Amino acid sequence: MSNKKSMTSRERVLAAINHQTPDRIPVDLGATPSSGISAIAYSNLVNHIGNTELPVQIYDVVQQLAQPDRTILDRFSVDVLDIGRTFNEKPTDWEPTILANGAPAFYPKWFKPVKREDGSYVTFDDDGETMLSRMPVGATFFDQTYFPYVDGYPDSYENLDAEMGRIMWARDAHSPWDHAGEDRFWEQLRERTLRLRETTDKALLVVCGCNLFEWGTFLRRMDNFLMDLLCDPANVERLLDELLKRHLATLEKVCNAVGDLVDIIRFGDDLGMTSGPFMDADTYRLLFKPRHKILCDYVKEHSQMHTFIHSCGSISSLMPDLIEAGIEIFNPIQTNAWQMEPEFLKKEFGKDCTFWGGGIETAGVLNVETPEKVREQVLERLETFSNGGGFVFNTVHNILPDVPPQNIVAMFDAIQEFNNR
Amino acid sequence: MKDELLKKLSACVEFGKTNKAALYPPQMKGEDGADEITSQLLDVGVGAQEILTEGLMPGMEKVGIKFRENKIFVPQVLMSAKAMGMSMVHLKPFFTSGAAKQKGTFIIGTVQGDLHDIGKNLVAMMVEGSGYKVIDLGTDCLAEKYIAAIKENPGAAVGLSALLTTTMVNMEQITKDIKAVFPETLVTIGGAPVNDDFCLKIGADNYSADPQGVVDFLNTKIA
Repeated sequence: MSNKKSMTSRERVLAAINHQTPDRIPVDLGATPSSGISAIAYSNLVNHIGNTELPVQIYDVVQQLAQPDRTILDRFSVDVLDIGRTFNEKPTDWEPTILANGAPAFYPKWFKPVKREDGSYVTFDDDGETMLSRMPVGATFFDQTYFPYVDGYPDSYENLDAEMGRIMWARDAHSPWDHAGEDRFWEQLRERTLRLRETTDKALLVVCGCNLFEWGTFLRRMDNFLMDLLCDPANVERLLDELLKRHLATLEKVCNAVGDLVDIIRFGDDLGMTSGPFMDADTYRLLFKPRHKILCDYVKEHSQMHTFIHSCGSISSLMPDLIEAGIEIFNPIQTNAWQMEPEFLKKEFGKDCTFWGGGIETAGVLNVETPEKVREQVLERLETFSNGGGFVFNTVHNILPDVPPQNIVAMFDAIQEFNNR
Repeated sequence: MKDELLKKLSACVEFGKTNKAALYPPQMKGEDGADEITSQLLDVGVGAQEILTEGLMPGMEKVGIKFRENKIFVPQVLMSAKAMGMSMVHLKPFFTSGAAKQKGTFIIGTVQGDLHDIGKNLVAMMVEGSGYKVIDLGTDCLAEKYIAAIKENPGAAVGLSALLTTTMVNMEQITKDIKAVFPETLVTIGGAPVNDDFCLKIGADNYSADPQGVVDFLNTKIA
């Protein structure tokens, strides 16, 4: 690939999405909360490569993910930035904390979890009594403990906004959304994104969940909502329509503010688990596909942004419908899940979408194997996925605390090696 | 009459028909569900033991196999478990009194540091539907919790669940701690990051990739 005309980072990412062969493999680290790095792994990485002066800023407090510094992104030739990073730029926006491994780090100053006697951390609602989330000892992220509609669907959705605001994913949202309630937020988002666009040639991405299935599980709890798909589809549709209204209102604002500046909009909806999808294709088609299509159509009509969905797990049986609904980019490509083998995916869907991930098994290789084995898998995956574009390198989901820094360096070195072939 | 009802009960579990009022599954709308049919079986003098082994278990076995083969997905399994639960409400008094016997006891919990429970719950439901008494310890369980439960239920097998690579490591210590007190206790492990190699490494007795695997293991070892 080395004889190709050199591209900017943004050109490289857009070429890949447009199924043209880029000059080298486009790379993401940390542009989304599902293509990032945990604070502990990041802390180990900056120490390992001698950038100990860099603060470990936990921008996603729920998943305990670090915002990688621009120095680190440049060192590893990362091609894409999350516009959320234009917020919380001042040191005074952060307060010190200590990671589970004892290393220093920072939380956004608004995040005040309570440490309990047993060493776990919890968060509470404004009433100080209702526990909203918990991170037990030994865990490295928070889990939701409050499910407002666990006992049934409400007659009226008057309280939906308030209840959504109590769910940790919204209440403790990462930037820029932790500022969404402030005056002039949307003007600020545009101004800051404009400045970022002027100072970088990297592709820009905005994270805007618009989750449908997942909001159902956040509100009703996973087991209830899964059963509702079968035994109470009328209430499911009623809830989904309420969610859709809110998502479209947000999308309108996002498109107005940054739709002409940002290259990719990232939706989220986990539709699969390792052993199979959460639902069959008929259920997806009936309940979710028409609504995903409305979201994608809106983005395409009102912005230049490409549509990206994060869904864990085995989703190849749903991918034809997701692609038809308008999804262009898939992440994290959980290649160890059922019917998610790289060769199969590239052959079956490679012409119709972009794979943003699948570059290495984060669980099973990156965390436990030698740097040489890491290199081998990265080279193998690049060989499979990169042909003809349609691929942005990323690990299978976030780099978790158990990943040694040597392996992260070996992973990026292997991409370099492939580019130089 | 009896055979017909048992067959119907089995179908209710297989297809997730809880009671007559339930609209799901559409093809069984208006028909009696697991709730009514279990009452009818008891009324005509069929014992709890027979209802379990000839009604619930064949239905749940089909569910386990279809789920393993990805012919059905979690929502269907949950509906089946719900139907089975409706039936078990009627049967539990007979098991508690000792009038009917389950195949054995299975203690299950998600390990320390991990709050994920969907996979653990699926296994618990499937094992219960296969004729075992299930003691569900919940999530974020320390070794002591499993050990206390084994003390109360001699001969029980134990299931450890974890979703994360960062918490599956706790399985090793918990397995060691359990085996130190109860060397004979069988420990089976499961969860997305776990595999046979890991099972061997930590000294557990079994790894299953799906709930039916746990049932098969228990049927071989303790039934």
